[in-house]
Amino acid sequence: MAKLILLLLKLCILFFVVHAVFEDQVGKFDWRQQYVGKVRFSHFDTQMQSSKKVLVATESNVFAALNTRTGELLWRHADKTGPEGNIDALLHHAQDAVLVVGNGRMLRSWDVNIGGMNWEILLDSGSFRSACLVGQQGTVKHVAVLKKTVISVHYLSNGHQKWIENLPESEIVDYQTVYSGGNGQVFVLGIVPHSHITIVVYSMEDGEIIKQVSVEAPWLSNIPVSCVVVDQGMLMCVDSTTMSINTLDLHQQLQMTQIPLQSLGLEVDPDFHPSLVSHQPNPAQKPLSEFFLQLGPERFLLLQLNNGQIVTLRDFKPALLASFATTGEKTVAAVMSPKNKTACSINLFSADTGRRLLDTTLIFTVDPNGGKPERLHVQAFLKKDDSVGYRVMVQTEDHAVTFIQQPGRVMWSREEALSDVVTMEMVDLPLTGTQAELEGEFGKKADGLMSMVLKRLSSQLIMLQAWIAHLWKLFYDARKPRNQVKNDISIENLSRDEFNLQKMMVMVTSSGKLFGIDSKTGGILWKRYLDNVPSNAAFKLMVQRTTAHFPHPPQCTLLIKDKDTGLATLHVFNPIFGRRSQVTPPALPQPILQSLMLPLMDQDYAKVLLLVDDQYKVSAFPSTKNVLQQLQETASSVFFFLVDSSQGRLSGYRLRTDLSTEQVWEVVIPTEVQKIVSVKGKRPNEHVHSQGRVMGDRSVLYK
Amino acid sequence: MLLQRLIKAALVLVSCFTDIETGPGAVVSTQPNGDRFKIEGRAIVPGMKTQDWVSTARVLVEGEEYVGFLRTDGSFAVNDIPSGSYVVEVVTPTYRFEPVRVDITSKGKMRARLVNYIKTSEVIRQPYPLQIRASGPHSYFMKRETWGWTDFLMNPMVMMMVLPLLIIVLLPKVVNTNDPEMRKEMEQSMNMLNPNPELPDVSELMTKLFSGSKGSSKASSSSKGSRPVAKRSLLYRFLYQ
Repeated sequence: MAKLILLLLKLCILFFVVHAVFEDQVGKFDWRQQYVGKVRFSHFDTQMQSSKKVLVATESNVFAALNTRTGELLWRHADKTGPEGNIDALLHHAQDAVLVVGNGRMLRSWDVNIGGMNWEILLDSGSFRSACLVGQQGTVKHVAVLKKTVISVHYLSNGHQKWIENLPESEIVDYQTVYSGGNGQVFVLGIVPHSHITIVVYSMEDGEIIKQVSVEAPWLSNIPVSCVVVDQGMLMCVDSTTMSINTLDLHQQLQMTQIPLQSLGLEVDPDFHPSLVSHQPNPAQKPLSEFFLQLGPERFLLLQLNNGQIVTLRDFKPALLASFATTGEKTVAAVMSPKNKTACSINLFSADTGRRLLDTTLIFTVDPNGGKPERLHVQAFLKKDDSVGYRVMVQTEDHAVTFIQQPGRVMWSREEALSDVVTMEMVDLPLTGTQAELEGEFGKKADGLMSMVLKRLSSQLIMLQAWIAHLWKLFYDARKPRNQVKNDISIENLSRDEFNLQKMMVMVTSSGKLFGIDSKTGGILWKRYLDNVPSNAAFKLMVQRTTAHFPHPPQCTLLIKDKDTGLATLHVFNPIFGRRSQVTPPALPQPILQSLMLPLMDQDYAKVLLLVDDQYKVSAFPSTKNVLQQLQETASSVFFFLVDSSQGRLSGYRLRTDLSTEQVWEVVIPTEVQKIVSVKGKRPNEHVHSQGRVMGDRSVLYK
Repeated sequence: MLLQRLIKAALVLVSCFTDIETGPGAVVSTQPNGDRFKIEGRAIVPGMKTQDWVSTARVLVEGEEYVGFLRTDGSFAVNDIPSGSYVVEVVTPTYRFEPVRVDITSKGKMRARLVNYIKTSEVIRQPYPLQIRASGPHSYFMKRETWGWTDFLMNPMVMMMVLPLLIIVLLPKVVNTNDPEMRKEMEQSMNMLNPNPELPDVSELMTKLFSGSKGSSKASSSSKGSRPVAKRSLLYRFLYQ
């Protein structure tokens, strides 16, 4: 069922009642939204001045190009789902984008203008470590792929292998990074953890090993995490145990020079793992000699390596994110720092001096219902007066991508959490005043003839009033000029239409973000990002109270269960506005095995939710006296069945009046014989409660 | 009270949230056992430049088991496929391509044939490397009913009026009525149409029964005599005009 919903949303959404059967009905009753997934790598295509696209590679194995003006998809290519289609690396040069796919299984090159593939080759087996573009004398013509045991260099034009070499001593040394500085040499860095670094230098022409050196480094455990290459082949590694930066010249490879952070007047925040960020704008040239050092969750430093000495250019405190960007000959550093609780400001600083560039402030408002910013991608360009202008793409925790222009105008925003919808419910919209009046006639005890007549008359008068008001509004709107009439759906004036066709689609995504989407237009009416959602979570959405019971607000409950520990949390909210409900859900200290919604209603018409924990005790939500009393009366006819697929055990329980359970039956299916793959119960909104099911050929299947 | 009865009637409440991790399907081992081959081919949409449609196209081998993409010139190669028999189809949202079955032997020999799910061993060879042509755009929509001049003609009322008119007008033109043999034939067919004068006429019987006998019988016999003649002359007049 979840897979069906996922597929439905991933491909297209047609309005659920009317299918576009005739070509002129297309777009009238349906809408479609395409997503790509959580962005893993992104590169701006700055090849030509007029090119306006950004290439993204996502966690959902999709490689896509987005139009930077509107945020619309230009094209996207979805590979197989699963680890075989996983995108490991994205390298971009001019018109080509090179992808390493499937843990080093394949190397593909795409033409980003057309959206078609240039070439694809199968790489030899071995798990992927790193890849880089290899340039020589200003041009980039090759790509190097480093795997666990081999390194191979391929031509960028057609993918053919130039040479492939086994890495020496690959069973002892863990080779982790490959680097090329543009002088025809390929450096492969490997590490024996807590012992030494091995540097192997290959010549790009034929793969001959020019040099192979080991350098002592007992403090280092992982190269890509702690080290970067800066300037003319200087390896900088930061070590938190000794509070120092160690440098090593890759060309000379003598010994690591240790520069303690205290000599620069710096110290690392406690319990924080410092990291370095460097920038190589052109793979055929050396990287910048400036780099960022992150000493704390909110502290960045711009440092420069100058003749073997580290100079502090600027200290950014507080700073959330920092990133480099290059345009033409100028390189800038963009730093995002928090301004107040709801907004952050992004500023540009010149990379070689650390001076702040004037007129480059951009305000980014953090949505309280969204996540915190996670990554920053900067697109810099030269303005007419030779100053640097920029636009920034901010990726937040809730998988949303926002593209912002100076001075803070949001150009477009994509909610990529919607690419992975786990479950959804369609909730009726609230009744209008007149509809509520009509409903008021039913369901109440008959008072007497006179009162019924009076009630009828009064409701007809109210309806007449509403109709006249509607006519007046129509007339008034027709007289106003067209552009002043606002016709957008806002959450305040949502109400049911004539046939109850327009509903609120409440969607729960796997990243823990909830959306309320209008079914008529597909617009997002409200969104809410839940914190602390475990990454391996199962969701179940239940509508406890619909909009049909007027003074009581509608209520939806979301049960979030961590699959590993079994602990669950309840999130109760109003599905029309997305706000948290006033009702506080019970705390659930025990792992929950099963949840069950009964048709029993509380006094305020909320259906009762039963939760079975692993001690086989049942808790009810809402747990008022009325509900407990009703449960006690009906306890003897409430049964559960629980399935433990790892042991192959099905057991049936019955509820006792004190809300504990007793086992009634048990069936064991031995796991050596057969394994339980999935269990399906009746659909929760199934109306037919019969023992038989009608098949397509009108015969009835009995169980 | 009613509600409780309802619940008691519905004994087993089967709308349960089953706490099962969905077991995976067959766990496919990712170690390649045996050689891997690649399926190559080319897809062409007649009348369209390749770069227009290539960015929305994929090549699916056996559903989503192996996915390949098309190059900028319309050719494709799906790598890393073990030996076996696969259905290869090029999928685009705009154009429809026919699927092709490709058999790969364990030595790497490729054979392409038409897809036939019913007679799976039927071999109608296709060229390999695959040449797949688009057989037109997808038709997602039903055509609206349109008005046409045939709608008027196909009306049964009109047909009942117009067709006999045509027959009567055209038939004498077609049949040469001056030919004496033709006339004889037509006379014979006329005679078959005439009722047998010996057989009693039912309407005559009825009028005799319900009215006076003498006057009506005279009138009836004279009318009976004149009627066939009148009939014949009417028809003759039409035919021999």
